[in-house]
Amino acid sequence: MVYPAHHRQIVEELMSGKFLLNNEEHFNSLKENESFYTEFFKVSFDLELIMKPEFSYLLSKDTQENFSRDVSIFIAILSYELDRDGRNFIESFDFNEFTFEEIDNYFLNSSFVDLIESNKTLRDNESRRTLLNGMARRNIIYKTFEDRFTFTQAYKVFIDFAKELALKRIKGEPETQNTEK
Amino acid sequence: MIKAEPRTILNFLNTYFDVVRDLFEYQQQDGLITKEVFDMICHKHGAQMKSRLREYRVVRSIGSDFEMRDVYFKLMEFLLFEFKPLLPETIEKYKGAISELFMKIRKSEHSDRDILQERIKNLSGQVREFVDLVERNAFRLLAETRDLKSNIDRVQYREKVHKASFWIEYYILPLNRILDVNHSESVTSKLVEVCEYANRKRLDYSDETTRSEYEKLYTQLIQTNQDLLKQSKILTNELIPLLERIRTESLILTGFIEFLRNPYKVETPPLLKGTRTMVYAKDMYFKVREFFEQFQIEAPVIVENSEADFDRWIFDRTLFKEKLAASMPVNDFFGWCFKALKKDFDQIETDKFFAVTGLLFDEELQIDYSKKSERVSIETTTSLLNVPKLKIEPAIKL
Repeated sequence: MVYPAHHRQIVEELMSGKFLLNNEEHFNSLKENESFYTEFFKVSFDLELIMKPEFSYLLSKDTQENFSRDVSIFIAILSYELDRDGRNFIESFDFNEFTFEEIDNYFLNSSFVDLIESNKTLRDNESRRTLLNGMARRNIIYKTFEDRFTFTQAYKVFIDFAKELALKRIKGEPETQNTEK
Repeated sequence: MIKAEPRTILNFLNTYFDVVRDLFEYQQQDGLITKEVFDMICHKHGAQMKSRLREYRVVRSIGSDFEMRDVYFKLMEFLLFEFKPLLPETIEKYKGAISELFMKIRKSEHSDRDILQERIKNLSGQVREFVDLVERNAFRLLAETRDLKSNIDRVQYREKVHKASFWIEYYILPLNRILDVNHSESVTSKLVEVCEYANRKRLDYSDETTRSEYEKLYTQLIQTNQDLLKQSKILTNELIPLLERIRTESLILTGFIEFLRNPYKVETPPLLKGTRTMVYAKDMYFKVREFFEQFQIEAPVIVENSEADFDRWIFDRTLFKEKLAASMPVNDFFGWCFKALKKDFDQIETDKFFAVTGLLFDEELQIDYSKKSERVSIETTTSLLNVPKLKIEPAIKL
């Protein structure tokens, strides 16, 4: 059997929880063979392949994934603080480069201090570095330098999540609740 | 006085938390609990509920109605994090109390020591209450203003501005005046003054116990001033520019604000969970097989014989024991060992000789020492050993 080009890289990266981005060569191979890979991941690992124009990733059925929650809190607080600072946070995510120092300042002066201090991945500069490195490993951010990064288009997963939540709350729909951490 | 044990009351609160919460919510909403509401809440728990609520002093009668006692009300506020915003006038009263106590402390510096210490403790208590109220108010104001920004009810911009102006005029700006350290009339500036005074007195006051009270007050005020500065920063950064902030609205930000209310109770975007193989995982068998299979491909192993002459002698204890038994009785044990070895080897090394002499410790042997202290010489390849002459016989079994 002949496998699509970059098959091994596609499988390895997606299976390690990475987002594949549309500026990467193997993304095109994945896109061209979307139906093959959708079936491949479903039959082999019971995982769902999500294809978006800008990125692609795999979904696990397990919703108790702490990494997703930590990243959601991180992006939510950062969006709130950027807005409070008078910046358009979507434009900032799309075009700006952030420094670790800038992020630390936003988190140090945030009014969500109780939440930040109670979360072990956000509570101090070191913990935030670890979270950001984890985000870089998964292609949610791209480290332009040791202490600088830009967001990749993968951040839109969390933006879509916020939109959906807002619509549910506006409509007064009860959402499924998680068990407490 | 309450007859019940403190633990009994806490157990009651734990078991009937829903009842107490219902009472709290009605009290918070209407300012009191009407008789009808009280009857309705207590009805499903039997007649004992009413008497217990009174016995544990959770409620008290106001005419025919009821109200929750302050200590329980504050406890519920704290547990549920549902603080009602207080008008800053209510908070400002602490300025009067703190100033009055401070003035009396300064005046009574050289009078009765006990009353001075009591006043310092009271001042500390007032400061504690003041900070607590400021924090609760700031928390509530933040929640209210985030609601405005989130605008989940989708109210019109005009109405939002009206609400924001209300919060700013009656709550935020007055609270900011209380916390503004640069304003000479603010409570914070008064606390800074008290802190400086306490700092001097903790070092130079003549009486040691009073110095210790000043020390405690000083430490408390240092922390208090830091906490108030934090609250003041929140007011300046987040609450005062409220009108400006509500001008923009974003569905995404609404979602994030709603999420941040309680991020642990909302399902976040599902991502692929990192894999970690457990011994009970389905694919463990294959992973273990893969691991061991890597050792199945055996590369040829070539063993080269060392050319060096390597004589490795292992002492056969049983053989030598048999030989010794056959030669019993032996008049000179060490001599016998040497001779026994000599039958096999031309050269006797010291370690070989010592290995054979180990037979001496056999419990089945009886050892007799020469009365004349006779000694014999044994010559090994490396040593000349001077050893006693020992007679060996089989031990007499009892």
